[in-house]
Amino acid sequence: MKGTLCLLMLLPLFTPHPTLADDLLPPGPFTESECINCHNELDPELIRQWREGPHAGTSGSGCSGCHGDRHTGSAGTAREDQVCTGCHEGPASHSYATSKHGIITRLAKRRQDWQQPLQRGNYRSPGCSYCHLHDRDHGDTMASSQGPEVRHWICSGCHSPRYVREQFASGKRQLDIADLKLSEGETLISSTIEPEPDMLLSLRQDLIRHRQNVLLGVGHQSPDYQWWHGQPALDGDLIRIRDAIYTLNRTENNARNATSIEKD
Amino acid sequence: MHYRLVLTLLTIIMVTISAGLAYVEWSRGGGGTGLYSRHWSPDPGQGYWDPDNFYRSPDSVQGVFEGELCIQCHEGITPGIVVDWRASSHAQGENPVYCNDCHGNDHQQLRLPTPRVCGNCHQKQHSEFRDEARFGFPSHVLAMERAVDAPHFVDKPTAEVQACVQCHSVATKCDSCHSRHRFDAAEARRPEACITCHSGPPHPDGETYFASAHGKLYLAEGDDWDWSKPLTKGNYKVPTCAYCHMDGGRHQVAHKSLWKFGLREVNPHTSKNRILRKRWISLCSDCHQQEQAAQWLRELDEERKRAWKKLYAAENILKELRSDDLLYPAAGERPPYPMDWLDSIWPTERIGFFEGQASAFYNVSAIERDYFEMWYFDNLGSYKAAAHGDVAGVEAGHQKLNRSLDHINEKAEGLRMHDEAGERAGAGSKPQVELWTKGAYTDHNREHN
Repeated sequence: MKGTLCLLMLLPLFTPHPTLADDLLPPGPFTESECINCHNELDPELIRQWREGPHAGTSGSGCSGCHGDRHTGSAGTAREDQVCTGCHEGPASHSYATSKHGIITRLAKRRQDWQQPLQRGNYRSPGCSYCHLHDRDHGDTMASSQGPEVRHWICSGCHSPRYVREQFASGKRQLDIADLKLSEGETLISSTIEPEPDMLLSLRQDLIRHRQNVLLGVGHQSPDYQWWHGQPALDGDLIRIRDAIYTLNRTENNARNATSIEKD
Repeated sequence: MHYRLVLTLLTIIMVTISAGLAYVEWSRGGGGTGLYSRHWSPDPGQGYWDPDNFYRSPDSVQGVFEGELCIQCHEGITPGIVVDWRASSHAQGENPVYCNDCHGNDHQQLRLPTPRVCGNCHQKQHSEFRDEARFGFPSHVLAMERAVDAPHFVDKPTAEVQACVQCHSVATKCDSCHSRHRFDAAEARRPEACITCHSGPPHPDGETYFASAHGKLYLAEGDDWDWSKPLTKGNYKVPTCAYCHMDGGRHQVAHKSLWKFGLREVNPHTSKNRILRKRWISLCSDCHQQEQAAQWLRELDEERKRAWKKLYAAENILKELRSDDLLYPAAGERPPYPMDWLDSIWPTERIGFFEGQASAFYNVSAIERDYFEMWYFDNLGSYKAAAHGDVAGVEAGHQKLNRSLDHINEKAEGLRMHDEAGERAGAGSKPQVELWTKGAYTDHNREHN
């Protein structure tokens, strides 16, 4: 009986109603090691995910980087997009922010109950955390190591399984095309004289960046990153790489021919 | 004698026109859509973007379902959309609009709702939307046909151009703006509803609007406004995309389209355009004085004149290089693309809007690509900034135009210099054909497209 009572008293801690739980929890502030020590006792799996995920070891993204250093409202705060975009700026966040998901999330932000767990049916539109930290995952649910089933499950909370399958397949085909362009450019650059001129080195960086944009466009469902920041930008890189090589060779040829004419 | 000549000429003209029309009709009869439908077949995912033409119903579930039956099942399968639908005005009232009202009730013959389906109830909006076609392109209703009628849609692998049809599906689905399954007009009125497509290098509408005084006020205060109000005078502190371009909630964006996206030079004072100018001035007068609005339009005229002076300067440089056979690789020396069959008869580089420059971003020489970017990115960026009241954006855009023009000038001088040096050195022929015609992507496109 006593045991049951104790369990009942602990129940609010594990219910999805966080306000009640927040009230019962010590308020903080806490240091990083205090967070980790306590939560390792409560939920070692969560700490393991974090340790093995992309955030552990990077500066400023311990527990408090996303949750703040107090318990009150810490889960809800960490679910909102701006927590992520503080660090993940540039194309990674812009490609999402201009996608339909990003826009709906922003417009629905005030009406959204951010205390809800990151599970199917709880969110109007997926924010960063809904996909990448789905259902309490503290690694990255979208990491390729998680396998396609996890990604399909998350998207199919709103979209039909066939739609999800075809979107992923279509995205993969788009990315394959971008990879062919990347490979074409890399091969062209590596076929030139050593050392590579600075211009070609910077064109190589452009290639890699624009291929990454296609990936972000496909992943975040941003047509603009798939297209104008991606595929046609890669076309431009290939044209400029070829032109740079052609100009280099032509200058050399002309110089060589001019010298041989002089010798004759 | 004259009679016979006229008759012969008339017969030839009639036969040519009929043959032309028959050819166009025939060309539309392929596996794709549009003028080049015989040259492409759709990507498996294209049905989601152009349902009328390509959507195939799933056949995984058998049976006929209606109303709450659909909801019961989908609450478990796809709970997100059920929550959305429950919060929508479709779910309210005594006679809710259920899933089957838009998607059909036979699970093996489902359809994705197209504007026609939505138009069954929303007649006014649908007829306005369809009627937009009379203003020509750019417009929403013609967006999909123009996308598939672009040569690059056929030239490039089908998988690659799936990026295009996502935005151009604004012509084929209503949920580009009215996100499913909430279909909230209040959301569609906000500028964010437009920026998934209207942002980025050739159409930075979002960027320039948010940088304007209108956009800054919206960003600061817009979350607090009542977006359920119609887009009419006095309801909003500042105008948004929809307030100006779809004033009064009219489902047409092209009915005041004066500058045609900045793609080609427009005489802003033709009798037709004077009517459009009056429409703009009347709209701006919801908040500003008429004379002030007219002055802003004149400033936009000036900006366009300045931009086109620079663009024509660049265009002339390119055309001179073309006349002197200095563009390399020239049109006849490039990898063959499917839509190059005309080029095989009469190879020519496309310079300027009327020659089809809109597809001159791949498989062209470097200086042509430079001009494409100057025209499509720098020029359109400056135009959008000027039209949206982003003063710093106009300045930045014109600096980019200047830099591009300088670069094109330098590059052209380099080409002439190289050519002279080559001639002096006796290296008259242009080597390295393989440099342009081989490569992982180029080969793939040639073999699989």
